[in-house]
Amino acid sequence: MLKRTIHLVLITLILLPILVLMMLSFGEQWIFPDVFPQNFNTKTWLKLFSSDSEISKSLGLSVLISLSVAFLSTLMAFVFSKVISTSKYKNQYIKLAYLPYILSPVVLGVLWHYFAVVLKLNASFFGVVLAQFLICFPFGFIILSSFWSRHIYDIQNLSFTLGASTYFSFKRIIFPLAKPILGLCFFQCFLISWFDYGLTQLIGGGQIKTLTLSVFNFIKEANIFLAAIASLLLLFPPLLLLFFNKKIKFKRSLINTH
Amino acid sequence: MNLKFTYTKLLRVIFLMLILLPTLAGFTYALLYSFGLTGLLSEGFTLKHWTETLSDFYAWKSIGFSLMIAMISVFISFWISLFLVLKLTKDFQKKWFHRLIFVPLCFPATVMALYVLQTFSKSGFFSRISYQLGFIDQIESFPELTNDAYGIGIMLTSVLMVFPFFTIYIKNIFDAEKLNEYQQLSQSLGASSLQTFWKISLPILWRKSKLTLMLYIIFVMGSYEVPLLLGRQNPQMITPRIVDKAQRFNLQDIPQAYAMALMYLGVVLILILVTSASFVQFFKRKSDA
Amino acid sequence: MRLELKNISKSFQQKPVLSSVNLQLNENQVISVLGKSGSGKTSLLKIIAGLEKPDSGDVFLNQKSILNKKVNQRQIVYLFQEALLFPHLNVFDNIAFGLQAQKVEATEIESRVKAILKEIALSDHSSKFPLQLSGGEKQRVAFARAIIIEPQVLLLDEPFGALDVETRENMQKLFLKLIKQYGISALFVTHDLKEALMIGDQIAKIDHGHLRTYQNKKDFIQDEKSGVKEEIDFWTKIQEFE
Repeated sequence: MLKRTIHLVLITLILLPILVLMMLSFGEQWIFPDVFPQNFNTKTWLKLFSSDSEISKSLGLSVLISLSVAFLSTLMAFVFSKVISTSKYKNQYIKLAYLPYILSPVVLGVLWHYFAVVLKLNASFFGVVLAQFLICFPFGFIILSSFWSRHIYDIQNLSFTLGASTYFSFKRIIFPLAKPILGLCFFQCFLISWFDYGLTQLIGGGQIKTLTLSVFNFIKEANIFLAAIASLLLLFPPLLLLFFNKKIKFKRSLINTH
Repeated sequence: MNLKFTYTKLLRVIFLMLILLPTLAGFTYALLYSFGLTGLLSEGFTLKHWTETLSDFYAWKSIGFSLMIAMISVFISFWISLFLVLKLTKDFQKKWFHRLIFVPLCFPATVMALYVLQTFSKSGFFSRISYQLGFIDQIESFPELTNDAYGIGIMLTSVLMVFPFFTIYIKNIFDAEKLNEYQQLSQSLGASSLQTFWKISLPILWRKSKLTLMLYIIFVMGSYEVPLLLGRQNPQMITPRIVDKAQRFNLQDIPQAYAMALMYLGVVLILILVTSASFVQFFKRKSDA
Repeated sequence: MRLELKNISKSFQQKPVLSSVNLQLNENQVISVLGKSGSGKTSLLKIIAGLEKPDSGDVFLNQKSILNKKVNQRQIVYLFQEALLFPHLNVFDNIAFGLQAQKVEATEIESRVKAILKEIALSDHSSKFPLQLSGGEKQRVAFARAIIIEPQVLLLDEPFGALDVETRENMQKLFLKLIKQYGISALFVTHDLKEALMIGDQIAKIDHGHLRTYQNKKDFIQDEKSGVKEEIDFWTKIQEFE
């Protein structure tokens, strides 16, 4: 009985946000004290598919930025995690990589703003990608550092003694073995970028309108229906991956990477 | 071999630059600006901005408020998660449960804040339900849960976002540390389940997770979107306060924004140094090398 | 002579791990190297394989120094304590790995792998993955993967250490059979006296970085420090007790 109740509470707690957002996205006019909007229709959703809709532009931009950041961060993190893995001070390097997190990306954004202006990177696509990269890269590094274990080096050495060249060993052994964690790293970096508001707002100067910025703008304009749609679009990619890709799990998130 | 060694060294230096240079550069610039040594209105070295910031009651209040919100949120999340792990141990093997617990991790802070706003505000979903059920007779009677003086909305959002992480994390510790076996052992030695919890499970869990909990406190402390949507001007959390000051039209405020940012970073660093012995050791070892 | 070590020395952080080690291994010969953990045996094997560099001394393969040769060009296979099968490759691909690295033709690879699978009695398991194999089966695959490329020298670091007694005995027999069949020279490191005597044509002993090679097994058995005497004493006493 207790278990049942806990289940029920938990399911409500977790699924209610999605339901409320869905309700709002199909709604029109929601005047107090009505529990549900007066009308339900697909008008707001249809706007999304019109060619000049701001949301679809934001969606495209967000996808582009997040993919770039995730790709760049994962690639660099893979290279550098290998280089650092053989260091005596490996653990110290890893602790340093926590720095951008501990110091809050938004506060760093305030500090970086001047440099973005000097380097003419403010309000530009590349500026935002670079700023997000500087946050995602250390995080990716922390994730991928756990890959370069003694065991992996033993396996690699064994492949060398069996006559494999560095390239062959990488192609046949190291890369296939790293694939799951590379996928995880890519996905996590994608999400950090995808979810980011503060840094993009500060470095992009409001000019680089990603989906998260759209949500904010709609809320400011008190257009909760559009805000709800933009929110659902933000939820879509991670939810999709969660339900269709069994391999990628959030097991190593910020909390249990060390 | 030698070439490879040099190459590795070089890459390590590049790594340090990638990690430290942006942070240090920002840090240095903020330091110079806050002492009046650079910037649009710079008039040469002055302690004015620092004395103003350090004696600004509201700046300290913001830091204290942020710390309080973070600690309460992490504390509540921890107990919810622990409760779930203890009561629903077997459910974690079930696919539906596993997926369910991951769902909140798909929520950006902005979206979760929007949800809380639409659900818990005076004109929100729950307020309307309460009205229809006759619990309240006007919109004003619904308690203030968002943009409130105690940061309830912010804490609610933080808990909703943090507790799934903790649940998965605590469950992992339970499995990795074989806590169930220790519990059985303790009970076979005659301890009651309550004694087992306080003397065995909780201490082991605490030892393993305290660094993570601290990281999360810092993490929540630095949150920006959530207090921006669900907070108010006074008390205000520190991050939106810094950004507010930095982006004001009044140029006089900018040096203070930088001073405040540095003050916040200082508090965070002190927090880490005090809480984590391993960090202290880390800096000791570094200075030896 | 197949392999020759001359005055190999190595230290880690000023602590000597190997002190002028000399060793000669002939063609088709197996030398058992007896050593406890921390005796320097793993370092010795790693230096021969090229995974570590000695501080001084030289390693000769077929009378040529190989010290500056890359690991993958030495034709010396090092078998670790664990089987270390590539977890993402099935049994067939694990065994074929070395041949694929040498770009041997696919049809030839197939026939050679099939032949060796028969030898190790795992023909039915060729498409299984390492996770589906028992400890003994894994070791057999690891062993086949090494000898299929007919290495100049095979280095084995306690390969049967983790197996149960029965599997271990079977593996020892299989090892002896295949090593003769493929004409392989090998250094076999173990801490087990019986195993050393059973497998090696010759015995060497490594202790605190010093290596001593015995002329023949008789020399070894008669050496008071070999440990054989204690072993015999033990069994005699047990008998007297009864």
